[in-house]
Amino acid sequence: MTAYISLMIAIPLIGALIAFLTKTREQARVVALVSSGISLLISLIMLSRFDTSFTGIQLDEIHSWIPSLGITLSFGVDGIGMPLVLLSTIVIPLTVIFAWGETKEPNKFYGLILLELTGVLGVFTSLDFFVFYIFWEIVLIPMYFLISIWGGPRKDYAAIKFFIYTHIASLVMLLAIFALYFNAWQITRTPDFNMFHLLKNYPLLEGWLIPNVITIKDAIFIGLLFGFIVKMPAVPFHTWLPDAHVEAPTAGSVILAALLLKMGGYGLFRVIVPLLPFSDSPGKMITLLAIIGVLSILYGTFLALAQRDLKKMVAYSSISHMGYVTLGAAALVPLSVSGAMFQQFSHGLITGVLFMSCGVIQHSAGTRIIGDLGGIAKHMPKLTFVMLAGFLASLGLPGMSGFIAELLILINSYANLPTFVILALFGIVFTAGYHLWAMQRAVFGTFNEKLGHIHDGADYEIASMAVLVLLIIFFGLYPNPVLNMMTATATPLVRDAAGLVGVIV
Amino acid sequence: MSYILLAPEILLTVLALALILIGLLVTEKSKNMIGYISAIGLAASLVMILGRTGEGSFFNNALVIDPLSQIFKIIFIVVSLLAVIASIHYFKDNRNQDEYYTLILLATVGMMVVASANDLLALFVGFELASMSTYVLAGFEKKNPASLEAALKYFIIGSLSSALMLFGMSLVYGVSGTTNIPEILAYFKTAQVSGIDILAMIFLVAGFGFKMALVPFHMWAPDTYEGSPTVVSSLLAAGSKKMGFVAAFRVLVLALVAVRADIQIVFAILAVVTMTYGNVVAISQKSIKRMLAYSSIAQAGYISLAFVVMTQMSIAGGVLLALGHALMKGGAFIAVAVVGYMVLSDNKNAKNTDDISNFAGLGKRAPITALSLFVFFLALAGIPPSAGFIGKFVLFYSVTVQAVSTASTWLLVIVIIAILNSALSIYYYARVIRYMYVLPPEGEKIHEPLPYVIALLLAVIGTIGIGLYPEPVINMAMNAASVLGV
Repeated sequence: MTAYISLMIAIPLIGALIAFLTKTREQARVVALVSSGISLLISLIMLSRFDTSFTGIQLDEIHSWIPSLGITLSFGVDGIGMPLVLLSTIVIPLTVIFAWGETKEPNKFYGLILLELTGVLGVFTSLDFFVFYIFWEIVLIPMYFLISIWGGPRKDYAAIKFFIYTHIASLVMLLAIFALYFNAWQITRTPDFNMFHLLKNYPLLEGWLIPNVITIKDAIFIGLLFGFIVKMPAVPFHTWLPDAHVEAPTAGSVILAALLLKMGGYGLFRVIVPLLPFSDSPGKMITLLAIIGVLSILYGTFLALAQRDLKKMVAYSSISHMGYVTLGAAALVPLSVSGAMFQQFSHGLITGVLFMSCGVIQHSAGTRIIGDLGGIAKHMPKLTFVMLAGFLASLGLPGMSGFIAELLILINSYANLPTFVILALFGIVFTAGYHLWAMQRAVFGTFNEKLGHIHDGADYEIASMAVLVLLIIFFGLYPNPVLNMMTATATPLVRDAAGLVGVIV
Repeated sequence: MSYILLAPEILLTVLALALILIGLLVTEKSKNMIGYISAIGLAASLVMILGRTGEGSFFNNALVIDPLSQIFKIIFIVVSLLAVIASIHYFKDNRNQDEYYTLILLATVGMMVVASANDLLALFVGFELASMSTYVLAGFEKKNPASLEAALKYFIIGSLSSALMLFGMSLVYGVSGTTNIPEILAYFKTAQVSGIDILAMIFLVAGFGFKMALVPFHMWAPDTYEGSPTVVSSLLAAGSKKMGFVAAFRVLVLALVAVRADIQIVFAILAVVTMTYGNVVAISQKSIKRMLAYSSIAQAGYISLAFVVMTQMSIAGGVLLALGHALMKGGAFIAVAVVGYMVLSDNKNAKNTDDISNFAGLGKRAPITALSLFVFFLALAGIPPSAGFIGKFVLFYSVTVQAVSTASTWLLVIVIIAILNSALSIYYYARVIRYMYVLPPEGEKIHEPLPYVIALLLAVIGTIGIGLYPEPVINMAMNAASVLGV
């Protein structure tokens, strides 16, 4: 048994503690880069050891923690977790490089970023529901501080809204987890928090929570779902996201959009999809998920179209892109589900570039209002190049990773959810529209002289964006390294649900 | 019979008496060493308790040494130790230090007697020893009107509660003809339940309820904790309150085995009302000491859940939460004491040093204090990995287990109310955290005095240590609960 995962989680945690204690910016950022770099290295070693043909959990490890409550520190990855682990360890070092010039309380800033890495890695690898929940909550606290200390003018409001919204969702999820736990306890009479054991016992639940209104099974299902879709976020629980993004510092936005939103999607695949066939009304639940997905796609798109603030537009585009994840997961076709997983991975890379672009523009031009910008391409050629690549990837240009993900979702979901796919297709046109329109107004055209002298992004900023763009293109041309493992896990995942296809409205 | 098992109590009593003498003999300047001596004495008795396993009963079965008494003694000594270490700086150069430390030690001995009491009279004597000492401690800053008010309120309400308790005990004695707790239990197991028994129970519940500060017997707590010297508040909130719990565990749990169903619902209502009231009122407090007082009331509400189901696990959960609360609340009050020191070093005549506005930018002004307070607050809110979380979890878990196995909906409702309460409490803790880390500081960075830092770090280590490695403590609490044989 190798302890890759616990090492990968522990190193950023230790790094965070060291970073908090450092005195100078140089020390703090080097600590951040080195410890997140080591995590990246470990995740690459894990990738090389990962057996793509094996569908179950691999590289697993179990450490005893609180035996009297059945809580163990058990970690492991499969096709759902591994790509997201990779994504996290890629995005965080690049974020550190991007934020190389942070001057305000750098020791705390880099320390909190490392804590975020610990949190998300824990979420993506924990196999114990209890430990999963702990990491799920750990993620919340550093992000609250990142927004409320380094944020924009309305940071207090945005931070507390973010905290309350997601914390309430987590509590609802916690109640559902406990319901699962006590259900399993009632059957086996031994305390056990193992995620798979709890999920396995779910079908045995019986009875009404409120007679003739909702069954216990459905209530638990909705409780878990609520915890995840608020995090994703899906319309109508998305209102915290634009506020949080607009106020958060660039590094915070990147981590929020690229990693924290993925936790919601991860929950869908890890928990919701396996439970879906066994809930008391699978047809309704699938329809519900599909409605949420399509609503997020369309609503996010239209709101993005209407935004004046470039960053807010990118925030709404995230909502719209995460809608594809919900739609793909709801369709319960192997390739649509693995497409949805790939969408998570790809969106993590793409949205990083977009938010970094917004950050560079804000820093250089002093504004992100699209109407006040214009013609900055002339003065910021390097930024324009990577930003254009990011925008094209985001609108789904073939040859880039976003195209593959959305194509897989739309084509394969059609078999089960034709109406919803057709509705979602309308979104694509407008998605291309708002991206190109924003690019045209903000970056190209005639230069707005009021902006004064503006300079291009710093080399380290452009470099980290360029790495992301290269990865986007690489996975756009050759998605197999991650897509294969996703498909391998997704296939048995939806096999159970195959019989339900006829139920779908 | 070997009295070695009582060595910790004997040591502390002798030490307390010796300190008075030493105080008479030494110059005022060298009185500062008395604090160190008391700390060493407390640490030594803690080591004795931790190191010795053994059970026994003494003085015609009036005192027993069993796992339950030992875990509560650990709680009491730890709280006193933290308070004494912090007092080394708080009462530095005070000419009455010798009396102060004597009283703290005597209060500790009193609480330890309560933990061991197996006889109603021993219980009462222990209660009175601890109460008398703490009445004086609460008013120890005799030039501060708030401290005097706190002491007076505490004294009057405390005497009233002692009277109620004593009356309840006398009724029990009248009915059963004995003051020995196991014999009372044996009597209740066979006897018919009469009106007088119920009356006795009501008086006992009220008497203990005052000590535990359960709503509606809580009104003294916020005033007393706010007005007392902050280190004494830490002793009162974290330590002496737990006396009520250990007494209730021994007396009520045993006696209630006989009259079970009736009193369960009483405690269910008390628990729910107490936790909800404590949390809701805590939200609007501007004084952090008052906020902590109300949060202690809420915590007492959670601990009372143990009486609602009265299974071995629920009592273990109550004990665990009491232990965790001792560390967290004791530590939090000491942190408030540091803030008081900080404010007074800015402005000698400052009033209301625990006002929330003084916590602005504490993360920059006193980083160790702020970080410790951050840990205590998250732990009090029940966020893992911390002692507060483990206690709450075992407690809520045990109630749910009971609810599931007896298919009882109202127990489930109570658990859900308790969890919602925990969620609510995060709001007022987070508010202070926001002041400490988000708002800009209003003064220079201060040098945090070493005694405070040591006390804070000990409490932090205890809080997180139990959270990270709870297994031995859980086992200890389970053993303690098994004594009651429920």
